[in-house]
Amino acid sequence: MAGATFEYTELTDAERELRDDVRDFLATELPIGGGHRPGLGMSAEFDPAFSKKMAARGYLGMALPTSYGGHSRGAVDRFIVVEELLRAGAPVGAHWVADRQTGPTVLNFGTEEQKQRFLPAIAAGEMYFSIGMSEPDAGSDLASVRTTAVRGQDGWIVNGTKIWTSGAHQNHYFIVLCRTSPDDGDRHNGLSQFMIKLDTPGIAINPIAFLDGTHHFNEVVMTDVFVPDEDVLGEIGRGWQQVNSELAFERAGPDRYLSTWQVFKWFVGTLAEGSDAEAAAMRATGRIAARYWALRQLSFAVARAIDAGQAPALEAAIVKDLGTTFEQEVTEAILEVIEHEPSLDSATLGEQLLAQAILTGPSFTLRGGTTEILRTIAAKGLRR
Amino acid sequence: MNRRGGSASTNLGPTNPYPADPTLVETLERLLTATCTHEAIQEAEAVGWAPKIWESLAATGAPWVGVAESAGGSGGTWADALAVLQECGAHAVPLPVAETGLLGGWLLGSAGIALPDGPVTVVPGSGGDSLSLAGDRLSGLAANVPWAQASERIVALVDGHVVSVAPAAAASVETRRNLAGEPREVVTFDGATVEHAPAPAGVDADALRLRGAIARSALIAGALRRATDLTTGYASDRRQFGKPVATFQAVAGQLVRLASEAQLVQMALLTTVAALSRAGGPETDAASQAAFEVAAFKATAGEGATVVSARSHQVHGAIGMTQEYELHQLTRRLWSWREEFGSTSYWREQVGRRAVATGPDHLWELVNQGSAASA
Repeated sequence: MAGATFEYTELTDAERELRDDVRDFLATELPIGGGHRPGLGMSAEFDPAFSKKMAARGYLGMALPTSYGGHSRGAVDRFIVVEELLRAGAPVGAHWVADRQTGPTVLNFGTEEQKQRFLPAIAAGEMYFSIGMSEPDAGSDLASVRTTAVRGQDGWIVNGTKIWTSGAHQNHYFIVLCRTSPDDGDRHNGLSQFMIKLDTPGIAINPIAFLDGTHHFNEVVMTDVFVPDEDVLGEIGRGWQQVNSELAFERAGPDRYLSTWQVFKWFVGTLAEGSDAEAAAMRATGRIAARYWALRQLSFAVARAIDAGQAPALEAAIVKDLGTTFEQEVTEAILEVIEHEPSLDSATLGEQLLAQAILTGPSFTLRGGTTEILRTIAAKGLRR
Repeated sequence: MNRRGGSASTNLGPTNPYPADPTLVETLERLLTATCTHEAIQEAEAVGWAPKIWESLAATGAPWVGVAESAGGSGGTWADALAVLQECGAHAVPLPVAETGLLGGWLLGSAGIALPDGPVTVVPGSGGDSLSLAGDRLSGLAANVPWAQASERIVALVDGHVVSVAPAAAASVETRRNLAGEPREVVTFDGATVEHAPAPAGVDADALRLRGAIARSALIAGALRRATDLTTGYASDRRQFGKPVATFQAVAGQLVRLASEAQLVQMALLTTVAALSRAGGPETDAASQAAFEVAAFKATAGEGATVVSARSHQVHGAIGMTQEYELHQLTRRLWSWREEFGSTSYWREQVGRRAVATGPDHLWELVNQGSAASA
């Protein structure tokens, strides 16, 4: 078929063992009835203690080499761990970006010194990162960033404002895309990435309340922030290329289809308790279950392809598009067949999660590249 | 970039353990490209049969792939049988290929009745059928029988028996057509003499419906692949406002949505093949053991048929609405196949009932491991 290729794959015996190991871990750490409040996918709770426990079990930095504190495993192993954690609504918020994105990026583009400094800390669940790409005038069009870095003594002086920076108030570093030389006609040239410590003098972190009143987003204003040379990530002037590889990287993981799993699980529980569920509710359930079943196999195929040394960028974009659209549909499909007035103050956890899914749902198809941008990228791969 | 470390020494994971025979697929692809042309399909629609395509297909043994050699079939795995149907779907083959092998051939073989040389059709068992068997005599009505008149034998499940009867023995055959103009006929019998044998355990209406759903979903998967290729190709070639229409963001969005949906159905097929293959060969009751996957496959394929048809037509514009352009040969079949052997709604409900019966605590294992979860 035009463009994309997805191969069917299965877990090996060793991979099944890993999956069972993760299930054991979750049964111990987040026992049913143990007071754990499940979250919705990757926006689950920020819990450094949990991140460190995961690290101790070997579940962070799985694809990083052992020489840097990782586990020299692969994308499939990470897929297994992440899938089990997300479906349990585990509090993955603290290490999420560091593990998914920063680790592989530093491994790819970092200096030897940076790898030694950052990767073991990431794999230990001790160092957390934010993403410093978007700006007030640069959303999907990242090449238009205005934050500048100019040469200073032994480093760079950064000025500008980043926005929608999730977790900047909690994390240690953020990776900032800056313009380091003026537009020379090709606006993709002259961009560079810096790893900036979020407590550096000159940084002001201003909260931007999420629509439900929670605090994820921030505006990060940088005024003459000094970044030492050793915190330049990759090559000066190659920021565009680096950012694009970073975006393509982990686009297709289970975080792109499991955000509303907990809501679905609750819904099926309500049907299982009732004796005469309507056919419409059964059909909604069936549609959702069938799509989870097929979608996860697509995502699994991408992980397998990455481990086989391929670069499945088109496939990853397809999974993200299908998956995030589906996550939103889950909520709406359930609402069509139940009589509830969802509220964050509902008496039951399931109804609270439903309310949360309604309120945060629009972000699923925005974060990590909007659906529209993804489809534009994917269509290039489909055209002949 | 290979980031994989020590655990790569595995035999199951990295490649599909249930591949189709590539030679079979290539042979069929070549054969159908040559014989099953747009003109040939149009002609078949006019006369209700495609003798030349049938002869060339039959000569390869393709219609009987998935029927055990011991029963007079061509042998082969589930992957092979579904690959044959995918190719037939992609080429809009206007013939009862699934009915001859995976459905009718299976019924006859399981009851120990010899397979005829020619095409076979099956009574799908829609509501409203009234067939009954008295001794060797068959009476009553069967609806929606594909190509009943053109087939050598009509095969049906009646009162726990597999029944085989020549269409000439029917009292009447009323010609009706599906949306693609393919015969779906109403056959009436009035004491026709038939060949019959008791259906063994596991060979029943439910099993036939599952196998029918597998067959129709595989045809759909093939047609979706072809419709996707046709549509992306058209949008790449067709220029408006000085550039290919595929480069417009709105059109690009349509292309990605339909291609993604086709990929999802393709993956549903592969995952179903795996579950079926684990349960047994195509001559076994594997379909009943993999009922979750089969239901999820048909539900997914039905939705795919809807999404891809609509978007393919939207991208093609007016040309897609004409007889002279081939898109309708695919989309009209998709609109028929998605309803046959259980509609999308029907199969969604089956999946839903299974999910609810499984309950929230094991729901994850169900969508993760399918029918293997409860095995």
